[in-house]
Amino acid sequence: MPNLTAWMAGTNGRIFGAFVIAAALHVAGTIMIPGYSSSFAIRAMLVIASLLAVASIGQTLVVILGGIDLSIPFIIGFANVVAAQLYGDGWNFVAVCLLVGVMALAIGAFNGFISRKLDIHPLIVTLGVGMVVQGCVLLWTAGFPSGSAPAAVSAFVSIGGSVGPLPVPWLVPSLVVLAALIILVLARSPYGRRLYALGSNPGAAPLALIDPVKMWSITFALSALFAAVAGVLLLGFTGSAYGDVGQPYLFQTIAAVVVGGAALVGGRGNYLGTIAGVLVLTEINTLLIGLGFQPAAVQAALGLIILLYGRERHVSTTI
Amino acid sequence: MTGFLSKWRSAGFASVLLIVLLVINLPLNPARFYPSAWGALIGLAAPLIGAALASTPVILSGRGGIDISVGPLMGFVNAIVIQTLFLRAGIGTPLVLVPAALLVGALIGAINGFLTTIIRIQPIVATLGTYLVLTGVTLTILPAPIGPAPGWLKAMAGSLSILPLATIFVAWWIVRRFPYYDLLMAVGSDDRAAYTAGVDVTRVRFVAYVITGVFAGIAGLMLTALIGSADPNIGQTYTLIAVAAVALGGVSLAGGRGGLIGAAIGAIDIFLLQSVLTSFNVSIYVLQIAYGAILVAAVILTAVQERAARKERA
Repeated sequence: MPNLTAWMAGTNGRIFGAFVIAAALHVAGTIMIPGYSSSFAIRAMLVIASLLAVASIGQTLVVILGGIDLSIPFIIGFANVVAAQLYGDGWNFVAVCLLVGVMALAIGAFNGFISRKLDIHPLIVTLGVGMVVQGCVLLWTAGFPSGSAPAAVSAFVSIGGSVGPLPVPWLVPSLVVLAALIILVLARSPYGRRLYALGSNPGAAPLALIDPVKMWSITFALSALFAAVAGVLLLGFTGSAYGDVGQPYLFQTIAAVVVGGAALVGGRGNYLGTIAGVLVLTEINTLLIGLGFQPAAVQAALGLIILLYGRERHVSTTI
Repeated sequence: MTGFLSKWRSAGFASVLLIVLLVINLPLNPARFYPSAWGALIGLAAPLIGAALASTPVILSGRGGIDISVGPLMGFVNAIVIQTLFLRAGIGTPLVLVPAALLVGALIGAINGFLTTIIRIQPIVATLGTYLVLTGVTLTILPAPIGPAPGWLKAMAGSLSILPLATIFVAWWIVRRFPYYDLLMAVGSDDRAAYTAGVDVTRVRFVAYVITGVFAGIAGLMLTALIGSADPNIGQTYTLIAVAAVALGGVSLAGGRGGLIGAAIGAIDIFLLQSVLTSFNVSIYVLQIAYGAILVAAVILTAVQERAARKERA
C-alpha cells in the first residue's frame, strides 16, 4: 500500500485523521467522565461546536486565499453588542441584522481591499481595523452594553431546543446545510476555483484573468459577515451583550482551520476539514474542563494540540 | 550608498513620524521630555523597544516567519526571575539571574525553532502554541502579581535601561559581521533560491528563532526592571504591539528586508503616540480607536511610499 502514506499526508488524509481524533477523544471522555455522552452533554457540545464552526467559515476562506483574519473576534463582539443595543432601543430585529450585516461586509471588504491592493500583510490590517471597531463599540456603549436577544434567536441556538423529532436546536441542522453549501461552492463554483487558484499561486492567477483585489475584498467581506452572524448567534446563546465575547474565537478559528488540514500559505484546505478541526477543539475543551483542569491549563493544552498539527512541506519540495 | 539610501527609505516613514511625534510631544509634556527625565523615559519605552527588536530576526527569515510568543516569553522570564529564582530560591545576584533569563529565552527560542523548521509547523501556529503554553505555565507558577524585584534590577528602570538595549544592538552588530547575516537575508528574500544555492535554510531559520528568544529574554528583564515586580498578565500585551512596531519600522513581514534600527524607530513611534494620546487625557476607548487607526494609516502610507519608490526606480 504505497499510496496510503501519501494519502495520509495529503489534505484528505488529514481531515480523516482529525475526525478519527475527535472520535477517539469522545470515547476517552465517555470512559473517564460519567455523563460525557449523556444526551444533554452531546447537545451542548453540538451547539458550541456549531457556533465555532460558523465563526470559522470566514477564517477557512481567508486562509485558502493565503491570508489571515484577526478581526474576527472584534467583528463578533461588534455584531453582538450592536445587535443587542439596537434591538433594546426598539428597532425591528430584521433591520438590525441587515444593518449589522452591511456594516460587517463593508469592514471586511476594506480589510481585503487594503491588504491586497497595497500588499500589506493582512495580519496588521485586520488587527488595526479590529481594534478601531472594538474601540468604537466601547465608546458608543461606554463599556457597558445593554439590551438582549429576541426570543427567536435564543430559541434558534438553545441547547434545550428541538427540530421536530431531533433533539437539537435549529442551529445544528442549519449549520449542516450551510456547511454542505460552502463545501459545494468551494469545490464546484467559479468563485471556489478562483479562490484556490489565487491561494496556490498569487502570481499566476492574475494571468488567468482572476482579479486578486476583487477576490480579496469579497472573501474578507464574507469572513466579516460570517463573524457577524456568529456574534448575533452568541447573543442568543448567552442572552446578553458582551463586547469581548469573541476573544476566544481568535485562536480557536485559526486552530480549527489548521487542524483541518489547511495550509496558512494558502491554496489548500476545505470547510469539511474545518468542521473536523472544530470537533477536535470542542472535544478537547470539554474533556479538559470535565477532568477539572484550570482554564490556564486548558489553554496550555490547547497550545500543545495546535503544535501536533500543521506540518509544512520542506523547501526542497517547493522548487 | 544606494543600499544605505534604500534602507533609510524603507524606515523613512517611521523616521518622519518620529520627528512629527516628538514635535507634538515636546510642548504637551515638557516635564516628561526634559533632558533630566530622559532616563525614566527610555526606561518606560524599553520593554516595547525590546519586544520589537526581539520580533525582528524571525520576521527577517521569511516565509511567514513570525514569533507571536515573544510577549508571553517576556512574561515567563519575568515570572521565573522574580518568583522562582529570587523569591523562592533566594538568588538575587545578576551573575545568575541574567544568564538564567538569557538561557530561558534561548531555550524557548530553540523550541520555537525546532517546531517551525524541523517539525515544519507554520510559524504563526507553532508560536501560537507556545504562546498559549507559556501563558498557561506563567499563570501556574505565578497566579497573582508579586514583588519586589532585586535592587540592581529595579535600578535598570531609569537611564541604565539603555544598557540592555545597547546589548541587543551590539549583539546584532556582531551578527551582521558574520556571513550568517547575509544567509539570513538571502533566505528571507527567496528561500528557494537560497536553497538551490546550497544554503542550509533550516539551520539559518532555526538560529533566527534562537536569536529572537535570547533578545526576548533581555526584553523580559527590561520589563521586570520597569514594573519592579512579577505580573503574569502583562507579557502577552506586548506581542501584537511589537509586530505592529516592526511593520511600522519598514521591516517587511514577507522577510528579507529591514533591520533592527527600523524596528526600534517603529517602537518609539508607538510609544510616543501613546504618550500624545494619554496627555490629551482621552478615554481609553478613544486611545484604542486612534491607536488602531494610526496603525492602519501608517502601514498604508508605508506601502504607498514603497510603491512610489519602486516606480521611481523602474
